[in-house]
Amino acid sequence: MKTGKKLGAGLILAALVMSAAGCGNNETNTASPGSEPAKIPETSSEKVKIVYSMWGSAAEGNTTQAVADRFNASQDKIEVEVQAIPWENYMTKLNTLATAGQLPDTGMLKEDGVIQWSSEGMLNDVSGMYEGSDSKPLDSLAYKYKGKTVAYAAANEILLLYYNKDMFDKANVPYPPAALDQAWTWDQFVETAKKLTNDKDGKHPGEEGFNSQSIVQYGASVENLPWQLETWALSNGGGFYSEDGTEVKVGDDASVEAIQRVADLYLKDHVAPLSVGQTDDGIQRTIIAGTVAMATNGQWNVGTSLNTAKEEGLNYGVAVLPYMKDKVTISTGGANVVFSQTKHPKEAMEWLKWYNSEENNWELISSGIWMPTLDKWYKDETLTRKWVENPNFPPYDEYKSAVVDYAQSSAAKPAAWFYTNYTTDFNTLLGSILGDVWTGKTTAKDAISKNLDALKAAHTGNQ
Amino acid sequence: METINKQQKRRSRIFSAEARVAYICLIPAFLGLIFLTYLPLVGVLGISLTNWTGLKSPVFIGFDNYIKIFTADPYIKDSIISTIYYAALSVAGSMIYSLFIALLLNRKIPARGFFRAVFYVPYVLPAAAIYVGWSWLYEGNFGFFNYVLSELGLKKILFIADSSYVVPSLSLISVWLAGNLIVIFLAGLQNVPVVYHEAAEVDGAGGWKRFRHITLPCMTPIIFYNLLMSLIANLQVVTPALALTNGGPGNSSRFLTYLMYDQAFVNYKLGYACATTLIIFAILAVFTTLLFKTSGRWIYNEGGDDK
Repeated sequence: MKTGKKLGAGLILAALVMSAAGCGNNETNTASPGSEPAKIPETSSEKVKIVYSMWGSAAEGNTTQAVADRFNASQDKIEVEVQAIPWENYMTKLNTLATAGQLPDTGMLKEDGVIQWSSEGMLNDVSGMYEGSDSKPLDSLAYKYKGKTVAYAAANEILLLYYNKDMFDKANVPYPPAALDQAWTWDQFVETAKKLTNDKDGKHPGEEGFNSQSIVQYGASVENLPWQLETWALSNGGGFYSEDGTEVKVGDDASVEAIQRVADLYLKDHVAPLSVGQTDDGIQRTIIAGTVAMATNGQWNVGTSLNTAKEEGLNYGVAVLPYMKDKVTISTGGANVVFSQTKHPKEAMEWLKWYNSEENNWELISSGIWMPTLDKWYKDETLTRKWVENPNFPPYDEYKSAVVDYAQSSAAKPAAWFYTNYTTDFNTLLGSILGDVWTGKTTAKDAISKNLDALKAAHTGNQ
Repeated sequence: METINKQQKRRSRIFSAEARVAYICLIPAFLGLIFLTYLPLVGVLGISLTNWTGLKSPVFIGFDNYIKIFTADPYIKDSIISTIYYAALSVAGSMIYSLFIALLLNRKIPARGFFRAVFYVPYVLPAAAIYVGWSWLYEGNFGFFNYVLSELGLKKILFIADSSYVVPSLSLISVWLAGNLIVIFLAGLQNVPVVYHEAAEVDGAGGWKRFRHITLPCMTPIIFYNLLMSLIANLQVVTPALALTNGGPGNSSRFLTYLMYDQAFVNYKLGYACATTLIIFAILAVFTTLLFKTSGRWIYNEGGDDK
């Protein structure tokens, strides 16, 4: 097993070495494509071939190819070929192709890779993609590098609050609000969570005789993966970075205080299970496991796991997040980019526009994993109904208010990887720094101020 | 005189024909070594002197990566400590455990074959299944171990969520996984000459004395082999960190190989990752050399002309 991994890594490295040897001469190819090659397709009457890469299995690739075939049939200028690469190898493969100068024309890119690829000159500016269109993507979904739009998210994703309706009914506590203007403050959230936290004898935190060692049901869980944690720093008037992404703000009092409050849900309030912010399975450990009454997480969980749980009897609802000072939810979504190595940026953009504009990702959207990116799906009620009114979703009014309206409200802030570089390095380091904060061995203030220089270095890619 | 010459000639001719076949048969393995081991190694060395990210073409930066690792890397110190800590616990634990189990399985107990299988099964289970299983046992809030603890009225232990417990908890899994060591020990035990035991028994030596003075010395070459294999494997630990902890909490399970993986395939700092790889290589080399150096002193050799 271990040797297998080592061998694999060795092989990849060997391949990389070989492709590195060849990259000197590719350099000239990659530098020029912006200006002259655009003329070539005009003179030829043949179809321009565009390769679109995506992550997924061969079967998923075939599904997407079927969509692309409809596009191919709809006009006679462009022919799109889909290339599916397994998720585990996706970025490694693209890196290798990039060095070899053989990137596809367009494709998906992992969220945290977009700004880095832009900064290394690998992506085309796509600002003009929606010029003259009747609908454009939500503002929160544009990746920006040095003021230019370098990509639009392929899907929309936001964070929200899930809750178990049966647990609320049993404790006779009102449901969390689905409307943004009624959002709970943090204190209201904690108070409600206390009523929903029971130890073995049915006692709640703060009650005489409550035993925090024998809790059988928790009231709340706030996902503390570093990238989701930024929600609370922002909500408390802080953040991880300044708005333009140039400065690190995670050491500000407001940010540190917000992180400490999340930790205190477990440490002081005794309303949350321990989570060390390392793995991305929060919803399974909380709402689906049936041990926690409310949990924050992404809307994609509706499609990836909650649908199945619902069939097995889980009665869950969706609500907006509580807030500290400002109402904030983070929105994200992997990017669709046009690589700068392409000779046909215009055609690539035309395909992307078509691909994102209609019901072409319908399977992912109607199952609840993705949300549409174009604003018309949020603003035009017929379209919204077409999207949300199906058995995969929670009741229409609830979902419309807690997710659809929430996603286009001013509360929806783009995740940090939309505008600043090295977020993976930063988040990994932050996650490791906060490790002992969740268990109470140190405070957020001590942990962060001790490592602030390292965090700043990570943010500049200088770690 | 002539006959001897003829014989010699014939012998050398046979030798060279055999040798030719041998060399031909060795070629694939040799090519494999060159292209899959030595060339990548040279490649790793070369890349480690660049700032390559996989996108732009690499720029030669000399020993900057190494300097950075030893002066500015936020993870490396904790990483080296946790790796050595993990390896020490796992090697010691799995050696003692597997020798003990092997001794028990070597006795004429009922259903011996069944028990031998039981202890070997963990070793052949898919890693993913093993770690999912253990994550349920170790879970901090409602995991099986904590359920038992709280039923007994004891304080819960955050096995893999507390930086002081995570390394011992992970190495416990590796001890449990040591089925291959048990098999090798068993094979060794069965080669301990019975006559020695019989003779000692006649002289009135008890079980412990026989183990201490016959079994253990006879087993030292096997123990050495297992120690070496287990040390190398455990110093390269990465799977439990990938499967259970993602290097956390804090840096407490960010083992060296995990760190390298993270740099290379998550952050795409390939030059930097290659430099880390060579440091891991150096650490492995130091430990195995030390082990070999001390081996002469405690390994029992019946022939005794090994040196």
